[in-house]
Amino acid sequence: MYSAIRSSLPLDGSMGIEYSDGTNLPVDACLVLTTDPKPRLRWTSELHERFVDAVTQLGGPDKATPKTIMRTMGVKGLTLYHLKSHLQKFRQGRQSCKESTENSKDVSCVAESQDTGSSSTSSLRLAAQEQNESYQVTEALRAQMEVQRRLHEQLEYAQVQRRLQLRIEAQGKYLQSILEKACKAIEDQAVAFAGLDAAREELSELAIKVSSGCQGTFDTTKMTVPSLSELAVAIEHKNNCSAESSSTVGSPVSASLMKKRYRGVLGNGERLVMGHEAGWVMPSSSSLG
Amino acid sequence: MKVQASSPQDNQPSNTTNNTNSTDNTTNQLPSMDEHVMRSMDWDSIMKELELDDDSTPNPLKTEFTTTESAIGPLYAVDSNLPGFPDQIQPSDFDSSDVYPGQNQTSGYAFNSLDSVDNGGFDFIEDLIRVVDCVESDELQLAQVILSRLNQRLRSPTGRPLQRAAFYFKEALGSLLTGSNRNQTRLLSSWTEIVQKIRAVKEFSGISPIPLFSHFTANQAILDSLSSQQSSSPFVHVVDFDIGFGGQYASLMREIAEKSISSGFLRVTAVVAEECAVETRLVKENLTQFAAEMKIRFQIEFVLAKTFEMLSFKAIRFVDGERTVVLISPAIFRRLSGIGDFVNNLRRVSPKVVIFVDGEGWTEIAGAGSFRREFVAALEFYTMVLESLDAAAPPGDLVKKIVEAFVLRPKIAAAVETAADRRNAGEMTWREAFCGAGMRSIQLSQFAVFQAECLLEKAQVRGFHVAKRQEELVLCWHGRALVATSAWRF
Repeated sequence: MYSAIRSSLPLDGSMGIEYSDGTNLPVDACLVLTTDPKPRLRWTSELHERFVDAVTQLGGPDKATPKTIMRTMGVKGLTLYHLKSHLQKFRQGRQSCKESTENSKDVSCVAESQDTGSSSTSSLRLAAQEQNESYQVTEALRAQMEVQRRLHEQLEYAQVQRRLQLRIEAQGKYLQSILEKACKAIEDQAVAFAGLDAAREELSELAIKVSSGCQGTFDTTKMTVPSLSELAVAIEHKNNCSAESSSTVGSPVSASLMKKRYRGVLGNGERLVMGHEAGWVMPSSSSLG
Repeated sequence: MKVQASSPQDNQPSNTTNNTNSTDNTTNQLPSMDEHVMRSMDWDSIMKELELDDDSTPNPLKTEFTTTESAIGPLYAVDSNLPGFPDQIQPSDFDSSDVYPGQNQTSGYAFNSLDSVDNGGFDFIEDLIRVVDCVESDELQLAQVILSRLNQRLRSPTGRPLQRAAFYFKEALGSLLTGSNRNQTRLLSSWTEIVQKIRAVKEFSGISPIPLFSHFTANQAILDSLSSQQSSSPFVHVVDFDIGFGGQYASLMREIAEKSISSGFLRVTAVVAEECAVETRLVKENLTQFAAEMKIRFQIEFVLAKTFEMLSFKAIRFVDGERTVVLISPAIFRRLSGIGDFVNNLRRVSPKVVIFVDGEGWTEIAGAGSFRREFVAALEFYTMVLESLDAAAPPGDLVKKIVEAFVLRPKIAAAVETAADRRNAGEMTWREAFCGAGMRSIQLSQFAVFQAECLLEKAQVRGFHVAKRQEELVLCWHGRALVATSAWRF
């Protein structure tokens, strides 16, 4: 993605760093700071030129210090940190330029340092320009890589934000639905218990009726207050006979209550056939007491 | 325990020196407390070495240990921008146990007499440790005596994080003692309990980044291990030792569905405790339904923890050609009698990735050496968790109480039980076991890191931050690791 960098940058002071897709970054005399979480300084060519001027003024990169450069440049917001790293890069850039260029090497040195012996100003300028160019290329390359990297990071971060939001939503939705299911289970359980309560009520009513001896067929002297189980059986029979649909209430009630032995509430020994579902049939003889 | 009568304007650094002075004083009166415990209870120096980011941020934990003559009034210049620390700002919020009369006396604690007058302060910490010591030395009667005194002192989970943590730890010690007297069969949860638990998890996830960090980092590690493949998307099988209510799989399924990872197929084997039978059914129903909605082919099986203890990985069904992912949390290490064996058996199933999520401070706690040290380390850890909960929770007590009662308290109880059960004493740490078996850590991806940071941004609770510690991605609270996630392979 970096291959589209042009081999030379126009030195006519045209603005900005050019990207492979042709867009330009605007440049002005102020610092261009990036907008990502860690604001970093963009070394535009304008800024860099001022830097080079300052360095030259101060006698070359080896003589200039970040502090003095800062003062010389007089650009607001520029910190020693920025300058330190840029100066280091500049020095390194100069090194590589030195090695790559042959003739211009001595000349460029001369151009930067003060002990200039050569008087051929035009070749000086050319050499300086070349060196500057190649330095600018390196710088531009680095800058572009940096910006690309940061853009990439920003994109990635934005992507992460989006995915995270979706994931949070998924989890929230799931927790909500499992909570609802659990609540429903409580409700169902409550209904079951309510049914049980209702059955109990009926049974106690029946017990009252029975104990008040209103049924003629009963041998009241031998009557005992029927147990819950006995009454439950009666209720169950009633339920079954009236063909009520068996709710969830019916089964747990009958199942648990039928564990007790039937004692023959209806003392006439009438055989009640019930609870076949539970596989249980009462004995025909009644045994009261 | 440190006591100091420092004036409220003291800065933190000078507090430390005051602390050491009073420590010397109090040490003389504590023949029974050994130096190490005192040092491990030196919250201030612990805080210092944790490099608190912002020195001007008052550490609420510190306020527990520093008192003034008047004992009322803000102890530090409070950064009023901090959300969630109302206790520090309004002195009227101090409950009565925060008033420490007579604290400036050097003989504030009558350590030597068991029936000391309640001078306030942190004698409850000493008593807690005494109980722990008694349990260790099998003096259960004495432990009960001290515990009943503690029950008077710590009646309810109110007040500062440390006090609430102390309450829960006291409760845990209590059930430890009664549990040792009779065989306690674990009961199935009732539906009401289950609803409360789910609600607590939901609330917790909504206010604190802790639960989501655990889940999402683990999920990302899973996704990363799956996506680093060629075009074929082999099926994934996750072995999960701590499934909870299964919330983690909701977001994993979403990713699988959207990115066609694993060819839209997910199989989970969850190792569960038998007392979780009701939850298990609920989880199965819900995950199955969710998967159907996401149009994912999904299978889930459950294996009893007891079975796993006996058969290890042979209790789990593996299918050729599947990519196995193993999710571990400290919960499983509790139940195992040998972590070395576990890791060896783990190797035999050739997992693609093993993800370890330590949300219980296990790395610090286990291997501390003795019941007492583990207890103290756990107390410290959960105090931090409660602190972070205080910072994250909305005003009012309700949400905190729910989260504490149904999420944190069970964990504390389990931690105390494990610490007391010394069967794994002298064992190597999990890291030693992993490395010893030749496992290597996998660097968690940039996506995982960004995700964690993003999560913190959303959570908007100051005090949390994300850090990398060796191979782990760690969620920290004021420099203290609360959740540490790492990925490993053979």
